[in-house]
Amino acid sequence: MSNNVLRLKPIVLAVAATLSMVASAAEPIKIGISIAQSPPGSVVQGVQVKDGVEIAKDFVNKQGGVLGRPIQLVYEDSQGVPEKGRAATEKLITLDKVVAVTGGHQSSVCLAEMEVAKRYEIPYVNTNCWADSIREKSYKQVFNPGNYNSRVAAAMAETLSQLGVKRVVAFAENTDYGIGQAKAVAEALKKKGTSIDYKYEVLDRAGKDFTPAVLPLRANPPDAVLTMMLPPAAYIAMNQLYEQGVAPSSKTWLYDGGGIADYPDFWQNVKEAGKYMIEFALYHPQMTIPPLGKQVAEEYQKRTKNEPNRLIFQAADSLFVLVDAIKQAKSTKSDAMIKALETSKFDFTRGPFQFSTQPGISYHQWVDIPYVNYQITEVGQPVSKTVLLQGPGQPVSTAKLVKPPK
Amino acid sequence: VLLLDLFVNGLIIGSYYALMAVGLTLIFGVLRLVNFAHGEFYMVGAYAFTLAAVKLGTGPWLAIPFALAAGAALGWFTERALMRPLYSGYSSWGMMRDEYAVVVTFAFSLLLVNLVDKGIGPYPTRGPPLVNMPRLPVGPVMLSGQKIVATAMGVAMIAGLGLFLRYSLWGREIRAVAQNRFGASLAGIDTARVSSLVFAVSGALAALSGALLAPIINASPDVGAFPAIKSYVIVVLGGMGSVAGSIVASLALGVLESFGAVYISYDYRDTFGLVILILVLLFRPQGLFGEKGRVVG
Repeated sequence: MSNNVLRLKPIVLAVAATLSMVASAAEPIKIGISIAQSPPGSVVQGVQVKDGVEIAKDFVNKQGGVLGRPIQLVYEDSQGVPEKGRAATEKLITLDKVVAVTGGHQSSVCLAEMEVAKRYEIPYVNTNCWADSIREKSYKQVFNPGNYNSRVAAAMAETLSQLGVKRVVAFAENTDYGIGQAKAVAEALKKKGTSIDYKYEVLDRAGKDFTPAVLPLRANPPDAVLTMMLPPAAYIAMNQLYEQGVAPSSKTWLYDGGGIADYPDFWQNVKEAGKYMIEFALYHPQMTIPPLGKQVAEEYQKRTKNEPNRLIFQAADSLFVLVDAIKQAKSTKSDAMIKALETSKFDFTRGPFQFSTQPGISYHQWVDIPYVNYQITEVGQPVSKTVLLQGPGQPVSTAKLVKPPK
Repeated sequence: VLLLDLFVNGLIIGSYYALMAVGLTLIFGVLRLVNFAHGEFYMVGAYAFTLAAVKLGTGPWLAIPFALAAGAALGWFTERALMRPLYSGYSSWGMMRDEYAVVVTFAFSLLLVNLVDKGIGPYPTRGPPLVNMPRLPVGPVMLSGQKIVATAMGVAMIAGLGLFLRYSLWGREIRAVAQNRFGASLAGIDTARVSSLVFAVSGALAALSGALLAPIINASPDVGAFPAIKSYVIVVLGGMGSVAGSIVASLALGVLESFGAVYISYDYRDTFGLVILILVLLFRPQGLFGEKGRVVG
């Protein structure tokens, strides 16, 4: 009896070792996704970020995952509220044991979440938080493959200067993104040395009636109104600007710096108020994108029947960047991943890039992120049919601009 | 022109506030309860209107009664399912009456927001306008056809409510219960039925407000928070339980916010009402039209 047991021992040990290896090999790598899935956050953005990371995850897992393990996404609802985002990130890191966190798409929330990521020294890839202050904190755990306010501000300042406008008023939401962008535009205009008279009005992002802010503009119309707001407040402000005949009008341009015209619900909510609007954007179907970008775009269209937009690509890239870092580091350890993120060159859905290590607003940022400017010329116009005023890296061409008739 | 613009805009927004606040004040007047789900009655009205008009294809005018019915049904359900235990024989419930009402209506409010968020979706939705005239100059003031129609319907509805309360049998019953619930029951009035009626009317008014504003303020699951908060301020300002006080306070708040946003700061727009509220509570706690005290029994 004892001889039999001894004879069986190596077999039992071998089977146990194999089972343990299989279990370890199949054990998924967890990545935390903190997005707004309910109000008051921008759920529109949250849904698109989710669509983007889901497509990227499926692409990665179809190719066998990374380090032989599949990727598992663990979602938490930040509600677009900093303290909820903070709690969500804490939970993802301590309870769900994720190796990295991504998905952030509202600056105030990212600013809260990245403090948690820093404390636990976990890589944090910022998908779509534009506030410059996120970069200026220079946290080694935080990486930014998305856009930033200074970039938008420089682009808007250039366009405004080409438009030859004299007086500009901006409506900025009361968030780190909105106020940050409004200040960055002031800075960019000053840097450019223009004589544009620029001021901004801060509006409550949960507000429902902006008429008192619009009425003084009707009495004294500026040459351009800039919007730095997210839906649903952005839609309401646009409708009220249109209703009062302020912008877009034969006198006043409407120029959006939030990139909202490609949201799936844009036309349902704005109608006539969107016609003639000039839009800063990070994606236009006429842009050249790499093959992976085309595959992601096709998959998104297949799944949702919507035109793809920048958030889909940014979200997909956020996950691809992390997966690549794990692959390069051959590990899910934070230090190794952070080192890989700092040194690797990436080329996924929007073109090649590397994170800068220069301090300040460029820290861990894709500095030369491509952008475009376009104008909407019809109600209900899909982005693919809008008039491209500026391609990536090209000068802005105002000759194609159309103004509403008097 | 700016002054006139601000005044007219203030009156218009005030009339929307009134439609909401009157329903809330009716409930307080009759039941001495604050309904924290009142904003969600507004939200349900906005969605019922938009879905009926767009998805069912009824068109905007026929969608209005649909929204009214949805609000009335929701109000009636709230009273029957959640409030009735407070005054229908469960004596122990009466001891924690206020706490119960706060907790249960607040929980119901969260439930409704999340049900709509998950069931219909988180995207904001704009309702179709009753009159498709996005810009309508009225003298020097620029309005929209929808704003004019919404204001007119709101005013008509409030006037209709006033007549209903004053001259109809049900209206008299409501006033009797508001004055003295026990006395009204001794006079043969079914106070439980009156409570249901008040909740149904309150729900219908809030839903109508939501429907009329859906083409101006896009419906979203959390859209009810904004009018609800204003309504609570108005109800206290006007005097809790006073319909006339609510109307005057609504219009005053609308105008105050409109002027304050321009001449003081837009940033503090929502605080003007709260500052006035604090002053009223300090110097005239019964509100503008409220009674100093009530003697019952």
